[in-house]
Amino acid sequence: MTSVDEARELLREFPVVDGHNDLPWALREQVRYDLDARDIAASQSAHLHTDLPRLREGGVGAQYWSVYVRADLPDAVPATLEQIDCVRQLIARYPTDLRGALTAADMEEARAEGRIASLMGAEGGHSIANSLGTLRGLYGLGVRYMTLTHNDNVAWADSATDTPAVGGLSAFGREVVREMNRLGMLVDLSHVAATTMRDALGATSAPVIFSHSSSRAVCDHPRNIPDDVLERLPGNGGVAMVTFVPKFVLQAAVDWTARADDNMRAHGFHHLDTTAEAMKVHRAFEERDPRPVATVSTVADHLDHMREVAGVDHLGIGGDYDGTAFTPDGLNDVSGYPNLIAELLDRGWSKSDLAKLTWRNAVRVLGAAEDVARDLQATRAPSRATIESLDG
Amino acid sequence: MADLQDELHTTPEVGELDDLPDPFDAYTLVSDPDAAPLERAHAILAAHPVADGYSGLPWALRHLPWYDLEDGESAVDTDVPRLREGHVGALLWSLHLPEGLAADRAVGATLEQLDLVRSVIGAHPDGLRLARSAGQVIDARNCGRVAVLLGPAAAAAVDDSVSILRVLHSLGLRVLTLTGTSWASEAGLTRFGEEVVREMNRLGVLADLSGASEATIRRVLALSKAPAMCTRSAARALRPHPANLPDELLAELGAAKGLCLVPLTAEQTGPTVRDVADHLDHVREVAGPQCVGLSGTYDSGAAHPQDLADASCYPRLIAELLRRGWSEPDVALIAWGNVQRVLRTADFTAKAAQQRREPSTARIADLDG
Repeated sequence: MTSVDEARELLREFPVVDGHNDLPWALREQVRYDLDARDIAASQSAHLHTDLPRLREGGVGAQYWSVYVRADLPDAVPATLEQIDCVRQLIARYPTDLRGALTAADMEEARAEGRIASLMGAEGGHSIANSLGTLRGLYGLGVRYMTLTHNDNVAWADSATDTPAVGGLSAFGREVVREMNRLGMLVDLSHVAATTMRDALGATSAPVIFSHSSSRAVCDHPRNIPDDVLERLPGNGGVAMVTFVPKFVLQAAVDWTARADDNMRAHGFHHLDTTAEAMKVHRAFEERDPRPVATVSTVADHLDHMREVAGVDHLGIGGDYDGTAFTPDGLNDVSGYPNLIAELLDRGWSKSDLAKLTWRNAVRVLGAAEDVARDLQATRAPSRATIESLDG
Repeated sequence: MADLQDELHTTPEVGELDDLPDPFDAYTLVSDPDAAPLERAHAILAAHPVADGYSGLPWALRHLPWYDLEDGESAVDTDVPRLREGHVGALLWSLHLPEGLAADRAVGATLEQLDLVRSVIGAHPDGLRLARSAGQVIDARNCGRVAVLLGPAAAAAVDDSVSILRVLHSLGLRVLTLTGTSWASEAGLTRFGEEVVREMNRLGVLADLSGASEATIRRVLALSKAPAMCTRSAARALRPHPANLPDELLAELGAAKGLCLVPLTAEQTGPTVRDVADHLDHVREVAGPQCVGLSGTYDSGAAHPQDLADASCYPRLIAELLRRGWSEPDVALIAWGNVQRVLRTADFTAKAAQQRREPSTARIADLDG
């Protein structure tokens, strides 16, 4: 039996919980939520990284669908609600493949039924517009993690990819973390500055997650996790879900991306612009300066290091499919996870370690957040704090 | 037997079942006709409590640092003891936002209101219970709780998006006021506005037409499969207030089996109990006894008629109606039965529509260009 066959067999028992997939935003941008135009029951490989046949092929058993919205919209809240509606429509539309999930128990039931547990994560504190009431609203609608920032700072937390302003979390930021603990919403520290990671680990009473981040020691990019933070995960109980995005995981790709972004800006485009014209400029650049290609082995290097530092009980997977233009060779779309598992088998990872990586750790962490919430709700009322009252 | 075929069966109206007797045909008297009107009012309301169509309580509580509705709260017009005294069995809690709140904040502010409402209801489990449907209203009543229904919210709260309408409905929203947006304006409903109404029907969200333009009211009455309601409208023939309805519209609302909930405010109905009763008389006459109800409008900032200062005062108003010769069944309808009918019909219509229609994907940019 080849390693890939063995990996598939393993995934049948302990499928992948993926921490971050941007299908909803891709559906919004490509077809304005016209789900007939992108029927994911059929192959959408011409347009998307994600569809149901490939999720099945990839051995995915649970997916946090990102309800991300751009931070530069005038008000992110309405757009976030539309993203939530999109996920609900998907769940309602494909009931034999997807099952809405709000708890660790739901995830286990979905696994037992052979359906893909569908959870929601909000990507960026801008989605709550500085309001704990809105945070509770998102929880009530089923959102089970919130990344504290996206690429830009929010008023109460610094992002990894913005100029430091708060120096981590503000007083209101710490209150957001505490209220998330009280609700049972996971605190996601992908995208945030290292200072914010450390502040959040100090403020939280529940395990945290990194929904899609890799190791900074392996590839020095601000989106990755420094070792001193990884070292704190055993104490916290949290999970770092390794991401595949080449421009975060491969140093040559980091450098190449800097050059490509400069080129886009020189042509008057935003560096994340994906319109047809922008892509034309980008393709011309790519012909002159070929893109370095990450591989399955690049990602496995991160996991090896992260296991060394954080331990095997604190690892997971967050591919960021449909949220990134490029993907590693062998992990081209959501069907690729078995290749990663095969690579790790070849590197000597045990089956029980791999079961933790793919399924057990991520399910455990959500259950732990629920337990903490149950305890806190017995003693603490919903917070009525405002950003004005705490940050002045 | 051929003669039996001569008359084709007419399709029964939604919500009415062919062979079930109308419960009000067999109305059992619950009060002693010879007793004093106030005593009779209490007896009738004990059996047929008030379903109050508009309460501004959420916004009034928003800035109170501390309150307890269970034990009594003098800072507001509504608390559990006074709801009990007034025989209130169900309340619509308004999610309207104050004037001038920037439109692009309306969705977030509505989520905050919904959060507040949930925490208030959660903090008063012996007095209040959230209800999403007519059946849950009855359940709450059977458990001795006051049922709280969520709405009306302003149309701006859905931010020109049927997706957001669906999300707010999933959080419990039951009534949306169709005014103050590009798609429900003085000019009436746009094509997108019509699609919003269809989606409301599919979800079971009732249209509130108080303050809506005549064009919007007429279009909704023609289009909506579920009855529409006016949560705060009295008779313009008696008092010229913009939200009060002219007789023509009252008659049309009645013909469409809609509901006109008469507000207990000095501005819209007048300064005395008799003034309010005059409006109720008039609306009953023009729209019909099945199309009139009560809207306390407490805690909304409005001034109330004398003797109707808070939620405990309904028996006084009902006593006045009895003095004017209203029958017991009509009093039962105005207090409770009519609102129940409208909620039940909307629930029924939604179930039927969900069999027929997929969730709407309409976008305002496509329909209204």
